[in-house]
Amino acid sequence: MAGRAMLLTYNFNVGGSTSVCSTMATGPPNYKIILCGEYGVGKSSIFRRFLNDTFTTDKCKKSTVGLDQHSRPFTVGGMEVKLTLWDTGGMERMSFIGSSYYRGAQAALLCYSIDNKDTFTILSQYILDIVMNAEGAKIFLCGNRSDCAGDGEEVTEADIENFIRECGDVLSGVYRISCRDNSGILEMFSDMAHVMHKDSLSRMTLRKEIIRPGETPELVHNKKKCC
Amino acid sequence: MDEEYDVIFLGTGLKECILSGMMSVTGKKVLHMDRNKYYGAESASLTPLNEVYEKFSKGYGPPESMGKPKDWNVDLIPKFLMANGKLVKLLVGTGVTRYLEFKSVEGSYVYKKGGKIFKVPADEKEALATSLMGLFEKRRFRKFLMFVQEFDEANPKTHNGVNSSVTTSKDLYDKFGLDNNTTDFIGHSIALYLNDNYLTQPCGDFMSRIKLYSESLQRYGKSPYLYPLYGLGELPQGFARLSAIYGGTYMLARPDAEIVYGDDGRVFGVKAEGEVAKCKMVICDPSYAKDKCEKIGQVVRAICILNHPIQDTNKAQSGQIIIPQNQVNRKDDIYVCYVCDAHCVSSKGFFLAIVSTTVETDNPEQELLPGLQLLGQIEEKFVEVSDLYRPIDNGVSSQVFVTESYDATTHFETTCNDVVRIFEQATGQPFDCSKVKTQPEDD
Repeated sequence: MAGRAMLLTYNFNVGGSTSVCSTMATGPPNYKIILCGEYGVGKSSIFRRFLNDTFTTDKCKKSTVGLDQHSRPFTVGGMEVKLTLWDTGGMERMSFIGSSYYRGAQAALLCYSIDNKDTFTILSQYILDIVMNAEGAKIFLCGNRSDCAGDGEEVTEADIENFIRECGDVLSGVYRISCRDNSGILEMFSDMAHVMHKDSLSRMTLRKEIIRPGETPELVHNKKKCC
Repeated sequence: MDEEYDVIFLGTGLKECILSGMMSVTGKKVLHMDRNKYYGAESASLTPLNEVYEKFSKGYGPPESMGKPKDWNVDLIPKFLMANGKLVKLLVGTGVTRYLEFKSVEGSYVYKKGGKIFKVPADEKEALATSLMGLFEKRRFRKFLMFVQEFDEANPKTHNGVNSSVTTSKDLYDKFGLDNNTTDFIGHSIALYLNDNYLTQPCGDFMSRIKLYSESLQRYGKSPYLYPLYGLGELPQGFARLSAIYGGTYMLARPDAEIVYGDDGRVFGVKAEGEVAKCKMVICDPSYAKDKCEKIGQVVRAICILNHPIQDTNKAQSGQIIIPQNQVNRKDDIYVCYVCDAHCVSSKGFFLAIVSTTVETDNPEQELLPGLQLLGQIEEKFVEVSDLYRPIDNGVSSQVFVTESYDATTHFETTCNDVVRIFEQATGQPFDCSKVKTQPEDD
């Protein structure tokens, strides 16, 4: 038992000191994208397409229960990067979603429903929340339900152009997609990956010393065999 | 609102959010309300900095020199996570760890008579070099620690005459001939007892606390403590998110939320904004059910803003200083917990230090003096005396389960014990962390 290396046994034999290996997890760069926008515009549908390329019309909206975060690899200029998409869990339905959701996001995908103008006009409020809580995040605009265009009061090209002008240079990309038809989604994420990767290379953020219990490798101790 | 819920939670403090997350994951229909417009209740981190000045009615705001107010996340209750403690196990078990990021707390210090602080040794090299104790005492100390590490309840060969449910902690110290300075150091800065009551208790709990400290220290180094980026307020939000992901509904800013009872004294529902939501049970913090609580004491806390690291800490960016009660002739320890912009809780160059202790006199702020004196120049100070409440019954007859106030301990072990207590009373099931483990269906 004499040489057993446990930190608090304070082994006073100097030669038997503990060796500490502090390799942090490394891997492809990982970019966090948060979904923002009104309840019901199809954020979870986008999430589901991103997750496993499925679509559901399940009205009770329980189909993303327990699923809120998913990572997928993308290739940017021959290099692999990872996008991690976060869904809201429906917290925006009754109250503020909480500042924690926004922490460390490199991008926010601002979603509205092309066939519902109210979900579009309210977006300036969401931009404020993003700017307040996720400083430096790139903001992308995403109109869902392009398949529904043409019936009722829809968001027009002119509306979008006005919005882009009002926002100045806040928006880093503008997309139209349909989760039902699976059109434009993969292209959108691939484009976002390019924009974010370019951005991060230009300001190389160092994130050393971050610990996530259960994921971060623990210290490796020099465990001597006893007896 | 005209739906019926299995459980309605009042208050989005950490305990309520952990329980809410667990209840949602196990299929309960949950509604969670808070009178405030932010998550976290007592365990929130206030932001921007102006909110702190307002809460303490300063009558003025932060000076411009303190930087952007929204860079600040100010905890009201000082606590760190033990790296191998119950809360970390819950975070990993539930997957909530995915929503958060932590950094190690850099150092743990202990105060000795005369006003000097010493680093609690984190490895052998530091233990060899420490001037906390003399050379012969170091040998006795080492023998003691090795005995505790080796002690295994199931293996009598390791017991050496010690019965963990009979032998007292004091008897155990005496067995190794440790002097009062060392026992003070072990009992308060390693076993983290608030006072000396443990000395006359069986040493089982004592030994498991030492093991917890040791195992926590081994996980990420530097100190046994972790602290989340952006402050402790991230923790309740993480568990609230878990609850929401599993169907829980959140309603903030319901200042008039109150419990409604039936004629039989059992809970009927919760009334807010003129509507009543029916439920089978309510779980809440003491502020929502004052009639079901009794006051058991007070804690005084001083939140201090500094523009410099603390002296004699080798400019550590974060740390804990424990002032054992004997060293300053008190019954309860004084704690100093401090963090800075390295943990994203202040603007660059500033430190947030909270000095706290259990109130013993009529002049609580004065009791903090030994701690405040360690801080050097203080830019701003916010002092609060909080009453500690605990429920008067176990809640089973009314189905209103009330959590206890956050005590003076500087880690989350007692917090988790209270969560387990409520969970078992409310569900009648033993608490099993592995059962709440989230399992994504696809992927």
